[in-house]
Amino acid sequence: MAYTPQYYPGNTSVGANRRKHMSGNLEKLRDIPEADVVAIMGHRAPGADYPSTHPPLKEMGEPDCPIRQLVEPTPGAAAGDRVRYSQFTDSMYFAPSIPYWRSYWAAINCRGADPGTLSGRQIIEARERDIEAYTKKLMDSEMTDVARCSMRGCTVHGHSLRLEENGMMFDMLARTELGADGNVYYVKNQVGIPLDKKINVGKPMSEEELKKRTTIFRYDNISYGGKVGARKFDEALEALHHMWELRTKWGFRPE
Amino acid sequence: MVTIKSDTESEPVQVEIFPSRFLSPETTQKLLNELYKSGGIVRMMIQGPNLPRTVTYGPGKGLPIEEHRNLLVEVGGEVLELRVKVGRIRLELEGEEFLPGIQAACERALPFSFQIKRGKFFREISTISDYAKYGKDADKRILGLVDPRAKKESALAVLSEKDSDKKEER
Repeated sequence: MAYTPQYYPGNTSVGANRRKHMSGNLEKLRDIPEADVVAIMGHRAPGADYPSTHPPLKEMGEPDCPIRQLVEPTPGAAAGDRVRYSQFTDSMYFAPSIPYWRSYWAAINCRGADPGTLSGRQIIEARERDIEAYTKKLMDSEMTDVARCSMRGCTVHGHSLRLEENGMMFDMLARTELGADGNVYYVKNQVGIPLDKKINVGKPMSEEELKKRTTIFRYDNISYGGKVGARKFDEALEALHHMWELRTKWGFRPE
Repeated sequence: MVTIKSDTESEPVQVEIFPSRFLSPETTQKLLNELYKSGGIVRMMIQGPNLPRTVTYGPGKGLPIEEHRNLLVEVGGEVLELRVKVGRIRLELEGEEFLPGIQAACERALPFSFQIKRGKFFREISTISDYAKYGKDADKRILGLVDPRAKKESALAVLSEKDSDKKEER
């Protein structure tokens, strides 16, 4: 029988969304052109060659190593690309993904990636052409809502602040704006350098849609314990209590 | 010795208006004018995250942020430049009788929910920073209105010179 990984417990919609994010089995909601993703990331001009830090692996003559024979290099590693990053900030107002789930997604589904989790933002580092592909996947999928998530390489805060009047997450560098047509536009790249043209990333989700897709447990949507007033807590909270108990009493050794 | 005040004399009260969203410059102007019209304001402070004029950090450091320039609001005939995204407004009122007016002004100006809290939001005693900045005989109404590092000239506006009706704003 084939093994099916069990990523996260619980019967709530948040539990189900967390499983979806971790498994990488995500719905594609939009298709942002690759050149636009590259422009927002701001590491190289769209269409330009990839600068490299070492010659392609095939030309380097690698040592005889069983691990190297076993593990196929990613396209970026094979070509000798630089290591670059993309970083996202997610609003605590029902953003679809949150830093830990972005990291789980990256660690489970992306080869050669180094995810870093911080309180209100999440960074993924990888070889340049790999991180571009991963970032496009992130921006196209249901892990991103264009109003409540935003690519921010620096001056990232906005996660725990109130929203702007139009429902956008506050951005100190004004990288995104809500157009009169209801679409969200990136006007600057992730570090605040103005783009040559505005990049349309589509319409934001409605409040109901966000509450349906979020991975954030909140008292005013889905509580960690599941249905309020139920006889039993949701399995997610039970599992958390169990892990806490094991770790506190004996040190967590999942074996 | 205990001094008993008469019942008719009202004590100043301090309130904080906390909207559920950050205010745009247009809504800020509307709200401040409504508050100004409702009367009884001794002093007022607006607070929120900074809106820098230039990128402060990273590869784009020093680039201008055009969106944050010339955010002007007109209150009581005075034009002020907004330097923060307004998220909180603190007021000192001449007395409790002005509270319903503040509530009504917020209801008229804000298209979303808000909270009005009563409390003590401005300090009365001069700190060392205040002493260094304003000197020994500082006007007590200035205390607690601006950030210790902010320049008084750009962060403070006096909207009325009348002693009994002096309004200040950051």
